[in-house]
Amino acid sequence: MTSDRSPVVEARVLSKGFFGNPVLKGVSISLLAGRVHALLGENGAGKSTLINLLSGALVPDAGEVLIDGKSTGRYDPKAARAAGIAVVQQELSLTAELSIAENIGLGAYPLRLGLIDYKALRERAAEACALVGLTEPLDMPVGDLALGRRQMVEIAKALYRKPRVLILDEPTSSLSAHEAGVLSGLVRRLASERVAILYISHRLDEVRSLCDHVTILKDGIVTADQSLSGVDGQSLVRLMVGRDPGDLFPPHQTNKAGARRIAVEGFAAGMVRDVNFSANAGEIVGIGGLVGQGQEDFLLGLYGAIPASAGEAEISGRPGLATSVGAANALGLAYVPADRKKEGLVLTHSIAANLILPSLGQKMKNGMRDRGAERNLIASLAKRLDIKGDTGRAVQALSGGNQQKVALAKWLPKTPSILLLNDPTRGVDIETKREIYLMLQGFAAEGKLVILLSSDTPELVHLCDRVLVFSEGRVVRSLERGAITEEAIVGAAMGLERSEVA
Amino acid sequence: MSALTSNLYIAVQGRRNRGLAGIYLLVFLLVALYIFLSPGILSVAGFSKFTQNWFPLALVTLAQALLMLNGGISLAIGPMVSLGAVIAATTMGGALGVPGGIVAAAIAGLALGALMGLVVAYLRLPAIIVTLASSFIIGGIALIVLPRPGGIIPPWFSDLLAGNVPTAFLLLVLVLVAWKIFLMTPTGLGIYAAGDNPVGAYRSGVSVDRVKLMAFALSGLLTALAGLFVAAQTGSGDPVIGTPFTLNSIAGAVLGGVGFLGGKGTMRGAICGSLILSLMINVMFFMGFPPVAQYVAQGLIIVGAVAIPNLVARWRRA
Repeated sequence: MTSDRSPVVEARVLSKGFFGNPVLKGVSISLLAGRVHALLGENGAGKSTLINLLSGALVPDAGEVLIDGKSTGRYDPKAARAAGIAVVQQELSLTAELSIAENIGLGAYPLRLGLIDYKALRERAAEACALVGLTEPLDMPVGDLALGRRQMVEIAKALYRKPRVLILDEPTSSLSAHEAGVLSGLVRRLASERVAILYISHRLDEVRSLCDHVTILKDGIVTADQSLSGVDGQSLVRLMVGRDPGDLFPPHQTNKAGARRIAVEGFAAGMVRDVNFSANAGEIVGIGGLVGQGQEDFLLGLYGAIPASAGEAEISGRPGLATSVGAANALGLAYVPADRKKEGLVLTHSIAANLILPSLGQKMKNGMRDRGAERNLIASLAKRLDIKGDTGRAVQALSGGNQQKVALAKWLPKTPSILLLNDPTRGVDIETKREIYLMLQGFAAEGKLVILLSSDTPELVHLCDRVLVFSEGRVVRSLERGAITEEAIVGAAMGLERSEVA
Repeated sequence: MSALTSNLYIAVQGRRNRGLAGIYLLVFLLVALYIFLSPGILSVAGFSKFTQNWFPLALVTLAQALLMLNGGISLAIGPMVSLGAVIAATTMGGALGVPGGIVAAAIAGLALGALMGLVVAYLRLPAIIVTLASSFIIGGIALIVLPRPGGIIPPWFSDLLAGNVPTAFLLLVLVLVAWKIFLMTPTGLGIYAAGDNPVGAYRSGVSVDRVKLMAFALSGLLTALAGLFVAAQTGSGDPVIGTPFTLNSIAGAVLGGVGFLGGKGTMRGAICGSLILSLMINVMFFMGFPPVAQYVAQGLIIVGAVAIPNLVARWRRA
């Protein structure tokens, strides 16, 4: 076949940034008919941005997308659909009240006299459902299906359009083993029918058994574009990680282990199952893994913000778990949420008001707020955290990094002994990141226990005494200082066996 | 495939009835009670009168449900009813005659609805704010068109719509058939999809903004025609007659199981909701409730009707 090696879709040196922050820097990728192409990369490497550019949902700052070797003028989702590109995103595009068939056909209904031709719709939707092994009646509302089955409907919806290019963004994350097996068979079959497939997954075993070719993104740059034959998991992981840390991280300090602060056995909360965990004062314990594997539930469960249970539990020397946020605060726990804009701060209020909020009841005189004492407290906090300028300004006027400092600082007057931090450096500039790292080390040196959930792997490597790697709600690896490397964390998160990483 | 599912359309329609069993039961009980209290409803004239009292509420509830299914809401329903009424009352007696009056009211409803939809969809302003502002504007226009109650509806037209013949009921059937057909078009289902999952609908190729505009325009049309009917009922126009319809339309839709967040609910549910509301008011009147108590009871019933399915769902999950 002569056209065999000419790409159906080709992206040439695409660049894209958000708010001056470059996410993709000159990325090229070619999708060939009949080839299963894997796209790998860590959290935040730019995979989703690349998919959105290929599907026309975003417009590149530089570079272009070519279809069948021809340059595309105005490239939007409609043009992408017309070119036969179908995307199965992680966020489903389904409508709960509509039936399976109506969802599958949405946007491309067969018509007769301007009305939806339900007879033709049934035939074509049934065909797509058969491909993915959906046996539920076609008239069933999608809202009645379990999440994994909805994912299969989403895939059937993509197949209904008979795509030439199929982009699957972590399609197996919510599928059962059986459904994942059906999907693998389907992908192979589509490839044999000359569909070009881009397959994004965090499961390396799956990628190695299913895909022919791999593109690896790291910090918005392609670090590999090669055939997958003969490549082992270890070298894939190496291509995904390993930035130059530069001067970003302060040297690691080990503090003398203090009293035991937390000990839980058989802990469960949200999607977290069977976690045994204990930690002492003066430690920084990292929580890592792919996004959404139960790490946040772990912190929220400890904090009493979601229902949690444990076989045995002891927090700050008291038996039992915190059953409410108030109880957790009383036990010396403080939680700094990841979404500081929604959960951590009252954006329209002043810096001062935000700083004083958790300790409003503490500074009282004759049953009234003691304004003078409050002012002193605010001033000392602002000084300690190096928050510059007038504390009467609204918090929303601050940069992301300074906002994060306020979200952290407001807990300090309560002198928490256990800090639960949910991704405290996300979206924070380098300078402030460094300040926050020093602050965390300071907390640990003071004898606080710091539990640091982070989506930034180097952070875990350089700051933590110990790292727990979560996958599907369980701790799959616990790495001690010395064994903490990016390779080890990412490898464990992606399900590589220990022997392969070691 | 079994015979039952061999017709996909009928199977889908059947599924949509399942969640409505409670509402159907309530309608049945209220109708039975009504017949017991006022057997006159079983005559042609009695039935006609009852459906005429219900008809404008049914239309505005449909208009409100159309927007709520799409994730919107309108606070301008009442003034739009008033505007429809005064346009009908001022034009039908003149050179344009009855057909001209119908066309004028319809165009006003469509155009103002589309205008609100345009602002909501393309300027991305919240529907509740846009329609709140529009309610003042449209109410003002109605007062400009007819500053005080007056105007004239030709008596033959009033007799046709609001006499002793069940015209209103037939019109309602017609509107429901039209809705059924509309729901068989891609735009119709697009209203659901865009209400429940706008991003997903957009990615699937539904023009979400256009669908929203369409929902507002159709809603405006139904509302203005409800106003026209009210004018025919009273024989004249009144620039503030529509006011109670804003909240009653929301009450009817909510009673019928239409959700506030879009994509949830059915038109047949909304129709039943408006019928329940209408029956309730009549039944309480026959039972001799003082008017003030009627309002209190009405409010309690609405909260109950929304809370009970929620509590049942929670109880089932636990």
